[in-house]
Amino acid sequence: MPNPKVLDKRRRSIKNIRKITRTMELIARAKFKKAMDRASAATAYTERMTQLVRDLMASGVEVNHPLLDVRDRVEHATLLVLTGNRGFCGGFNGNLQRAGFQNWQQLIGRSPNSRLEVAGKKGVAAFKFRGIPAAATFTQFDDKPRFDDVDAIAGRYLDEYVTGRLDRLDVVYTKFESVSRQHVVTETLLPLSGIATAGKTAPTGGGKASGRRAIYEFVPSPRSILEEIVPASFKVKLFKCFLDSAVSEQIARMIAMKAATENAEDLIRRLSMQYNRARQSRITSELMDVIGGVEALS
Amino acid sequence: MATATLSKNIGRITQIIGSTFDVEFAEDQLPPIYNAVKIVSDHKGIKINLTGEVQQHLGGGRVRCIALGSTDGLIRGQDCVDTGGPVKVPVGKATLGRVFNITGDPVDNRGPVDADEYWPIHREPPVLKDLSTKTELFETGIKVIDLLTPFVRGGKAGLFGGAGLGKTVILTEMIARIASAHGGNSVFAGVGERTREGTDLWLEMQHAKIGQTGRSVIDQTCMVFGQMNEPPGARLRVALSALTMAEYFRDTTGTDTLLFVDNIFRFSQAGSEVSALLGRMPSAVGYQPTLATEMGALQERIASTNKGAITSVQAVYVPADDPTDPAPATAFGQLDAFIYLERSISEKGIYPAIDPLASNSRILDPQYVGERHYNIARRVQVTLQRYRELQDIIAIMGVDELSEDDKLIVLRARRIERFLSQPFLVAEVFTGKAGEITPLAETIRSFEELCDGKWDHLPEDAFMYVGAIEQAEAQWKKSQQK
Repeated sequence: MPNPKVLDKRRRSIKNIRKITRTMELIARAKFKKAMDRASAATAYTERMTQLVRDLMASGVEVNHPLLDVRDRVEHATLLVLTGNRGFCGGFNGNLQRAGFQNWQQLIGRSPNSRLEVAGKKGVAAFKFRGIPAAATFTQFDDKPRFDDVDAIAGRYLDEYVTGRLDRLDVVYTKFESVSRQHVVTETLLPLSGIATAGKTAPTGGGKASGRRAIYEFVPSPRSILEEIVPASFKVKLFKCFLDSAVSEQIARMIAMKAATENAEDLIRRLSMQYNRARQSRITSELMDVIGGVEALS
Repeated sequence: MATATLSKNIGRITQIIGSTFDVEFAEDQLPPIYNAVKIVSDHKGIKINLTGEVQQHLGGGRVRCIALGSTDGLIRGQDCVDTGGPVKVPVGKATLGRVFNITGDPVDNRGPVDADEYWPIHREPPVLKDLSTKTELFETGIKVIDLLTPFVRGGKAGLFGGAGLGKTVILTEMIARIASAHGGNSVFAGVGERTREGTDLWLEMQHAKIGQTGRSVIDQTCMVFGQMNEPPGARLRVALSALTMAEYFRDTTGTDTLLFVDNIFRFSQAGSEVSALLGRMPSAVGYQPTLATEMGALQERIASTNKGAITSVQAVYVPADDPTDPAPATAFGQLDAFIYLERSISEKGIYPAIDPLASNSRILDPQYVGERHYNIARRVQVTLQRYRELQDIIAIMGVDELSEDDKLIVLRARRIERFLSQPFLVAEVFTGKAGEITPLAETIRSFEELCDGKWDHLPEDAFMYVGAIEQAEAQWKKSQQK
């Protein structure tokens, strides 16, 4: 017979957990709304930028921007894994860690000079646990990634790429598609031509540009415009990754906390039943003892 | 007592209450407590051959007896003869291979027992100075038992468990393992369990062979049964009859004797049934007030002396899965090794369903089993303990929320949990797997490697029902090929 006191204590602690998880769910819901607004605002902009680059490349202008060059020998590759700073979001961090770990294994197999960069405390801890040192870690991104922060990192990548210290950049993050669909993807952001070709198959909001060839007039010249627009496109693209990751994290947390609250409720119900039963059986057996004693005496 | 045998001391039945009856003797010829009284009659075609045991002196020449058989057909006024001593059972070589009831009569239809000696079933426990102080591990070849609850040679081990968790199966397995590898004699006491199980066991023992000698286990064993169908008096005393036979082997031949008891709880239960009829006031949960005394008197006699050892394995039923019930709780204190069978483990399909955290052994101590064995056993327990603590969090938050260290613990604990299962010799027909006898050294090595993380890559299912760790790998490879 379980001890009613122990059961009650356990039940109380689970009630507290339920209180916490329910609150976290509500917070995540509020944060998710804001993050999604930011992300969807950025989506239109990013898509337009990507389309612009693609159109430029398709417009027959001779394109030879360094960021668009695909290098034959990839010696210095970088893998950037975007995880969350905090837990309690179900499989969000775990999936990223697994995908990041797999990608890293492949990458290090192909080009041993690769660098690993991790954003988010959870990812940093996971790679540290597996004994893989990260060359750079970022923990300043929370649920509202700021463009200035991303800009600094993006600028560094651009510099490295142009000077030949970086041949390829892969980003592992959770792509936000809709409220019910997010999944872990690995995208190659550098060289940029990867985006240009990949973008063709991706559904674009209002463009429908893939079929028609847009006619542009370049002022002052295609070259100077490309100089401007290609790096900007890359930065925006990277920023979008961070935004997507932030939204996905909030959604994951919302769902995970909802499930946790429900699980806690189930557990409380079960414990309550056990508790009541234990309490009742204790009362019954004591009563029986008393009655038995009385009967034996009389 | 000598006078009583010369002139027959005859009394008359004055009252019959269920399985107890009162007899009136001459005031100066009262039979002492524990004396056996016999009623033999053929009244109106009803044949009665009943033995009773004096339990109380009521005053006025009356004694109250418990019947060791059925009281059907008994009438007041019948003659009742004092036998002048306690119930005596045949002991010695002649008892081997035979099956007895409580009063020492053979029940296997193989004719009378030609025994030289008869010993009374009520005897004194060995005195303090004769008790053996040796402590030696007794290997069973069952991984979970050898590792976590090692048996003591010449000690007592208890199998505690609720209904249907496999106590009897483990006990039968013990007989198959120990008795077949054992040179000495074995005694089996069937106390208040199913008669069918007794028959099964008897047949099983005839099939099982001792080592390579070609002789059956039964040739070295005697069995005493007082099963569920018997009245409480028989169930209360049958353990003593069996014990007396075991004591004879210990005291005269000096060999290691094995005593198996299934089920010691029925002994307490029978005691409580009798107790009320004897007019004692019930104590906690309705048990007899003398529960601890009765248990102590029985258990103290199951002891190893300087002359010989009795190693005993006892099944203890735990009513309603509640180990705090007075009956199992009283038995608990008497044992060297304590094995607790847990329903939640049997529900996972892991057999033997031994709870690795609730079970314990007196000799799981570096002093007896050695530093290495002890450390591995503790590591296994710590891992499983941590897993159990994490269970609530996993149930609420999911396994993803655990820290990396805890995830690893959960992963290993789940493998250890499954690796504690083992195919049994006697369960071959059910599992379709040959029984595994795993030597202690293999067991320790296997668990050490498991704790060190050498086998983390195997899936959990590979660890189910195997012997040493290499078999888990083999099982995994086999399942991959399919």
